[in-house]
Amino acid sequence: METIYLDHAASTPIRREVHKVMTRTLFETFGNPSSQHSSGRKAKATLEKSRQKVANALGADRSEIYFVRGGTESNNLAILGKVQLDLQKSEIPRVITCSIEHKAVLDTCANAVKQVGELITLAVSADGNIDLDHLETVLKMQPTIISIMAVNNETGLRLPVKTIAEMTRFYNVPMHTDAVQACGRIPIDLDDMQVDLLSLSGHKICGPKGTGILFVRKGTDLSPMLFGGGQEKGIRPGTQDVAGAVGISKAIELSVDEQENECIRLAQLRDTLEEGLSVGISNLKVYGKEGARAPHILNVGIADLDSDALLANLDMKGISVSSGSACNSGISSKSHVLKAIYNNLENTAIVRFSLGLSTTLQEIQETITTTQSIVLNMKTH
Amino acid sequence: MKKKRIMVAMSGGVDSSLTAALLVEQGFEVVGATMKTFCYSDNSGPSKTCCGLDGITDAQNVSELLGIPHYVFDVEEEFTANVIDDFVAEYSTGRTPNPCVRCNSNTKFPDLLEKGRQMGCEAIASGHYVRITHGPEQDSSLFRGMDRKKDQSYFLWDLPKTMLPFLHFPLGSLDKHTVRQKARNLNLITADKPESQEICFVPTGDYRDLLERKLPTKHPSLQPGFIVTSEGEVVGNHEGFANYTVGQRKGLGGGRGDPFYVIEIKPSTREVVIGTEEQCFQPGVQVGNLNWLTNTPVANSELGIQIRYRGNDVPAKILSIGQSIALEFEKPQRAVTPGQSAVFYSGDQVIGGGRIHSALQREDLAARN
Repeated sequence: METIYLDHAASTPIRREVHKVMTRTLFETFGNPSSQHSSGRKAKATLEKSRQKVANALGADRSEIYFVRGGTESNNLAILGKVQLDLQKSEIPRVITCSIEHKAVLDTCANAVKQVGELITLAVSADGNIDLDHLETVLKMQPTIISIMAVNNETGLRLPVKTIAEMTRFYNVPMHTDAVQACGRIPIDLDDMQVDLLSLSGHKICGPKGTGILFVRKGTDLSPMLFGGGQEKGIRPGTQDVAGAVGISKAIELSVDEQENECIRLAQLRDTLEEGLSVGISNLKVYGKEGARAPHILNVGIADLDSDALLANLDMKGISVSSGSACNSGISSKSHVLKAIYNNLENTAIVRFSLGLSTTLQEIQETITTTQSIVLNMKTH
Repeated sequence: MKKKRIMVAMSGGVDSSLTAALLVEQGFEVVGATMKTFCYSDNSGPSKTCCGLDGITDAQNVSELLGIPHYVFDVEEEFTANVIDDFVAEYSTGRTPNPCVRCNSNTKFPDLLEKGRQMGCEAIASGHYVRITHGPEQDSSLFRGMDRKKDQSYFLWDLPKTMLPFLHFPLGSLDKHTVRQKARNLNLITADKPESQEICFVPTGDYRDLLERKLPTKHPSLQPGFIVTSEGEVVGNHEGFANYTVGQRKGLGGGRGDPFYVIEIKPSTREVVIGTEEQCFQPGVQVGNLNWLTNTPVANSELGIQIRYRGNDVPAKILSIGQSIALEFEKPQRAVTPGQSAVFYSGDQVIGGGRIHSALQREDLAARN
């Protein structure tokens, strides 16, 4: 049985181009970038070339790009690093986020103020908006940091990050955005979008796992959370993973280059999937449709059906999907994202289909047929 | 011929691992399932009990080895409402609950059966040491496991009778030693895993913490009260009657001769009544929340009754039966504990069970006889 992989929001297969440059680097550029000799210098040069590539793709300066070890780490460093500065000045931190963030942001914010401080979680409407009057009130309180994601990982819903960034700039509040699901799926231009901190992950865009980027805008100060040899200008010490940097930079470069055309293709496939499922399944609810969506995610609810059983049935027919964010041991917990926006989620099977580079029209058509038949079978049982 | 699809409840222990392996050998299309019952982030650190995250990982590992799909079902909300809240409510009213009984009948088996049905499974199997026979016309009977030291029928009396035809217990005729041996032969990584002893949501064995978190502050069950004798003499103080179980030894300090035991908990006055070993013995029991797995027995008939997991069934006579049942033991029994399960047997067959409501004293029996 061929597997149809439709869980690209969870992880993606590595691209051949990425694999190729990484393998070469692993063998040929093994030196420590901090070493003074030729092997070290070669590694350093490769690392900096990768940094430049990321900067070019995002509209940033090379000095603003930091290599870290994943999306979660990047989010943690941005939020905890800012909170740490307040604590060092004996100021009480105040952290602002919104209700539909990934756990890597929500839990980080909660832990950042666990000992001392305040967390304000903003509500998000079904169309992805945040009450701007409320936001303004909150920004006037001069919080330590505000973290709002660019694209939601469960529904694909886009949040008005650019607008919020303009407001935060006006009130001089540092802003972070988790752009892990945004990269390659919506345009990211850091010249235009005035956030101060931005997080990316390699393995969501056909790059290697364990790689991430933290963008830190010039003039934004940040405390490190790890200590050691001072690598990455002391912000993220530890010998750099040169092959990882080569891999993630290649993946970012390619995904940004191809973003426009690939997004048109993905949106068409997603719409085909959505229409196909709607025809065969009565009362199919599409989450996130009230607002602008990134093109790679289709999150649907089917009433009076067991979520776990539906996902298992799809898996046993070779279709890999999930019900939202995959956490420890692949256990799908009931979605805090959907709960924050929608009512009546009880007895509703939630399925997130997320598409990617390898997804074909034939796969989408097979998925429609198989899903329809499984749902029909379950309903008549 | 198409294989019969069967779902195995896998905790990550040796018993359920071997259950899955045996069913694969027998030619079933096996689907493994583990229930995530509570929030693990509240319980960081290594877990002593089977259903923790390590248990899930072990179940996944065994499934991978057996080449079967494995799924984790998050039943945290249901488990909290059906099992943990009930556990807290029972202790807070001076009773001693059996959460595993509650889980089996209210969460584990009904949920797996429902999900299993929707996944095309014709039956559910678990690694319980009990035997089941399936007769014609959905007529199934539940028996004690052959390994009497491991027999778990005590925990299954409350399963709805209509569920029995869909249950399989492949370990019912095996003993633990054989199970481990077979698991070793199959290279299951769980073969030598230690037994889980504690309640899964109280890994430390200290449930007081849980009660303090779940109950309103200053709940009567957690407030100090008097320790009294059966004559009402105050002989000491306690820090909350929820800390006590009928039958537990209660030292008084000060070298007061014979050992004393809790013989009753009185929530209305917050008193913990203690008495001598002799006073622990009661001649009868009133059992409520009944469930029957066979035809309901009639008054004046005899049956076997087991009033705690580590025990055996003893003969008793039914004095009256209806919504609840009153029984007189052939010989007085030690520590009849309200809240604990009373399971009824005819030979090795489980005929039903209930929750112990109260002990019956000689005068109660006299009034009924």
